[in-house]
Amino acid sequence: MILHIQHLSFSYSETPLLRDLSLTVEKGEIVCLLGPNGSGKTTLLDCVLGFHRTFSGSVSLCGKNVLSCTRQTLARQAAYVPQIHTPSFPYTVREVVLMGRTAQAGLLGAPGKEDRALCGAALRRVGIEALAERPYTSLSGGELKLVLLARALAQQTPLIVLDEPTSSLDFKNELLFLDTLADLVKNDGISVLMATHALDHPFYFESKGLPVRAVMLKKGEPARVGAPSDLLTAQTLLDVYGVCASILETNDVNGRSVKTIAVLGREEKAE
Amino acid sequence: MKRTGITKPMRRAVLIAALFVLPVVFVAASLFFGRYPLPVRDVLTAFIRPGSVPLATKVAVWQLRLPRALAAAFVGASLAVSGAAFQSVFRNPLVNSGILGVSNGAGFGACVAIVCFGGGVWTYLLSFVFALAAVVLSWFAGRISRVTTTITMILGGTIVGAFFSALVSVMKYIADPYSQLPSITFWFMGSFASIGYSHLLALIPMTLGILLVFLSRWRLNVLSMGDREAAALGLDVRRCQFLVIGGATLCTAAAVCISGTIGWVGLVIPHIGRMLIGNNNQKLVPVSISLGACFMVLMDLLSRTLTGAEIPIGILCALIGTPFFVYLLKKTRGGNWT
Repeated sequence: MILHIQHLSFSYSETPLLRDLSLTVEKGEIVCLLGPNGSGKTTLLDCVLGFHRTFSGSVSLCGKNVLSCTRQTLARQAAYVPQIHTPSFPYTVREVVLMGRTAQAGLLGAPGKEDRALCGAALRRVGIEALAERPYTSLSGGELKLVLLARALAQQTPLIVLDEPTSSLDFKNELLFLDTLADLVKNDGISVLMATHALDHPFYFESKGLPVRAVMLKKGEPARVGAPSDLLTAQTLLDVYGVCASILETNDVNGRSVKTIAVLGREEKAE
Repeated sequence: MKRTGITKPMRRAVLIAALFVLPVVFVAASLFFGRYPLPVRDVLTAFIRPGSVPLATKVAVWQLRLPRALAAAFVGASLAVSGAAFQSVFRNPLVNSGILGVSNGAGFGACVAIVCFGGGVWTYLLSFVFALAAVVLSWFAGRISRVTTTITMILGGTIVGAFFSALVSVMKYIADPYSQLPSITFWFMGSFASIGYSHLLALIPMTLGILLVFLSRWRLNVLSMGDREAAALGLDVRRCQFLVIGGATLCTAAAVCISGTIGWVGLVIPHIGRMLIGNNNQKLVPVSISLGACFMVLMDLLSRTLTGAEIPIGILCALIGTPFFVYLLKKTRGGNWT
């Protein structure tokens, strides 16, 4: 078991945002966190990454309680791909990916030869070695996300945590990113915990035959957990988002059956 | 790619050697120039056999020019390296070594010394103490619910800086306009004119500070990704910031207390480094140290030889450095900033 969350509750104010949430992420499994804005997706990720430390319940990564871990230990268990990266100095792509090796260097150490080799491998794995010497601030949104993924990969953690990784990408880049992620899960046995607004994402992973579960969060309500096809029904969408939707089924270019969601209107507009 | 036949490790070795050798060359060269004309041979002899040269020569080389050049080199290195460090910590290319109120704090200390204690050794002591105090105050001013975030620390620094600058005005207002006020004004323009060996005590905190930043140089890259990402990458952000800010503060405070405020170097030398070798702090920090030292020794040499009277070094740095900076900016097309 890579990630084990037991009876997690968290609140910013009087009303709890996350209530008695229990969840596991197994090796080589993808867990998609879904839910409306403000339902606690990022908050949950922050609890897992040790940014929030005032929750009740327990969160353990690879058997270690996150609250008793140092930043270094945590960074060896879980890598993080942020939703928004505020550009810093124009470092080269290679220099940014090399930062993924921080947890392996000491307080005053710097990455060595082995770290550089791993960073090169991460760049190749994600398919962006051609960008290696470019200033990362000059990249497109899609390329930048792949750089951040390569950096997370260079961290060599069993778990990668992603916060809405494709929210700013166009169709093709979104698919490229998801394909890369699916490949990492399938061939490298990496586990993925990702928050996303796109309900098609869990369906996408399901159509690829990968072990995937969806977690539907709604503020102040217990989380609903299940396989995408079981959980993501018109009824759930109505309950959680207040929208009328229809689950459509079609085939992808390889002829595999894939589901997608069509939103038909707001609940209050319905007759 | 390999047209030149020069391999990457070779280029690296040459660069590292140049970084070490250049400041030494600049310091050595500066011994041969000055208002008191000395033949090259006499200067060399003063070094090899100090007993066999006239006393005036010995004094000029050993007591005046050498400590002065050493002080200039360390001050230049300190200001440049702390500028580079603060730019990364605050992820802001516009920041200089004075961001946390060091210069204004030191200025106030110097004013108090000049007005209340008649200057002298008090000037160095009080400007050093108040420079450190300003940074500690900035840290606490930016502390909200037991945490000092990067942005509140900048706010704290700005506020504390403004506070000390107001105090400086108060001191100027009450200072004697014929004796004390000119001293204050000259202090703020910066000078190495009165440096002797006793001032080289300041080399200890400067070396310590430079060393702290130098050892943290790779982590500066990670810090500049922002607190959240740096933490997720496995960095103990608070501890690392403490080391870097502590080191940068120590060397800036020590530099400013013996030279007065020279604001330009901490902003521009790191940028010249960025244009020349890129933004990776692993290279930028050593390059800034070396460039800062060379630049300051050169400026001090010019300040004491260009005209009959000494030109305050703060003025010279800005007057000569600015056109050079603009030239580099055009030539490197902004070094990836655009």
